[in-house]
Amino acid sequence: MQFKNNRLITILFAEAIVLCLIAAFRLINLETTVTLLIFNMLFTTVIFQLKGSVNRKLGLLSMGNIIGLFWSYIFCSLSAAGASVFGEGFNVVYAIFYPFVNFMWVVSFWSLSLALLAPAKNADTEG
Amino acid sequence: MIIEALEIVFLFFTLIMIAYLVRYYIFTVTVLRRERKTKNLPISNEVNYELTVSVLIPARNEELVIGRLLQRMTQLTYPTDKLQVLVIDDASSDGTGQVADEFARRYGFIEVLHRDGKTGGKGKAAAMNAGLERSAGEIVLCFDADYYPQTDIVEKLVRDFVDPEVGAVQGRPVVLNESQNMVTRLVTLERIGGYRVDQEAREQLGLIPQFGGTVGGFRRCVMEELGGFDESMLTEDTDLTFTICLAGYKVRYAGEAECYEEAVDSWRAYWRQRHRWARGHMQVCFKHAFKVMFSRKLSAKEKIDGLLLLNLYFIPVVTLASFFVGVSIIFLGASQLFSALWLLMPLSFYSLAGNFAPFFEIGIGAYLDGRTRLQFLIPLVFLAYMYNMLICTKALLDLFAAKLLGKKQSKWAKTSHFGDRNRYI
Repeated sequence: MQFKNNRLITILFAEAIVLCLIAAFRLINLETTVTLLIFNMLFTTVIFQLKGSVNRKLGLLSMGNIIGLFWSYIFCSLSAAGASVFGEGFNVVYAIFYPFVNFMWVVSFWSLSLALLAPAKNADTEG
Repeated sequence: MIIEALEIVFLFFTLIMIAYLVRYYIFTVTVLRRERKTKNLPISNEVNYELTVSVLIPARNEELVIGRLLQRMTQLTYPTDKLQVLVIDDASSDGTGQVADEFARRYGFIEVLHRDGKTGGKGKAAAMNAGLERSAGEIVLCFDADYYPQTDIVEKLVRDFVDPEVGAVQGRPVVLNESQNMVTRLVTLERIGGYRVDQEAREQLGLIPQFGGTVGGFRRCVMEELGGFDESMLTEDTDLTFTICLAGYKVRYAGEAECYEEAVDSWRAYWRQRHRWARGHMQVCFKHAFKVMFSRKLSAKEKIDGLLLLNLYFIPVVTLASFFVGVSIIFLGASQLFSALWLLMPLSFYSLAGNFAPFFEIGIGAYLDGRTRLQFLIPLVFLAYMYNMLICTKALLDLFAAKLLGKKQSKWAKTSHFGDRNRYI
């Protein structure tokens, strides 16, 4: 029963990640999708090697995707609203600040994920 | 036409940044994989051979910290009959010489080499060369005066010299005054990324670990063969790394040989230190880049890594330049190619932060060190990287200006140490 529940949770998390990617591509833009793909690639190849259950890591990954989706959505909305209020010049300002703000959530979420996974490593060391 | 030219420049810069990003990614994954394989293996500290060792401590106006290091030298577990500790008091105007003399009176294996204003004060490399002449050990280790090593550090550093191909060994500096303020915390993160992952990976992949000039040592005969430290170099340690490798010897990294250091504690001191590092590193790049490229003693992977290492301090300048080129293209009207490349800018920006170690490398280093709370500060390392963009750009301009005006720098460019704040002692 426990095994089945775990599998179900894994499938749910994986579905959430895929849905986020589809939503990013269909509802926001290609840039957001690529950012999410880069985040997923880094996360799966690096953080998945750390101590901790797969579901915990998948949970964090799906949460990261949701945060990334909302982050990009808010910034795209800001860009659209800014352009309609201040004119096209706002898009230039947005593009200039884009390299600084776009990845901010990735780095913050990365450090948060590592901190959340650290107890598993420490418990292993003490044990 | 102008837009196309700018886009090509931008594409070139982007490719450089991606090359570094891939390098760091490989390093991070390598260390993680290695960690999983070897985490249960005990580190042997047994040394069956005992080489004679000279420890050089170049010091100029370090009276506040030199006593702490010399006290530690008296606690080393290495046999004192095979150990020589040599303090090079390089024209100090404070009580450094007196403190060292007091220790030399009490302990037979501690010696002091006093250099006055005429012979001394010409920089760390000159002081090290003077010390090298006076030293007697087969292996020469160096420690800066503000460092505080483990008691068995000599055994750990000397262990790799059993291989006759090894010319130099580097240990791991750990920040002592981490909790002092935000600057020291960010420096700690940079050090963790740089040593726990970067140096470790280079060691494991058989690349070129960097000799840092302190918490490390070299084989005396190799140093004599190479003619000692180049006194015209601002970063004589990086210069030595490449001189040793180009001569066909290996540089090894001994991560378990830890030594505590006092990190810079203000943005002003950070600027001074990093400016010196950047300028010195660029100097070394101009000196060795072609030799590395065409060397017959380096393998292809060593050449690639060597060139990436040599060009490291140009990367913040490239990042800054790519940003301005990108912004110019936006104003002039961007093409689809540029839009796709601009997408990579955030990744490049955040991936190169932190003494040019990316956020994921620093994060994994902090994780492996069990530094949970410090991990929350990783996003702030980006601020230090933006600061480094300015530092490295200034260093490059200064280097060109010095070349044009024919100026040479051969004096101490040191960081002040106070020895009053620490976490571990």
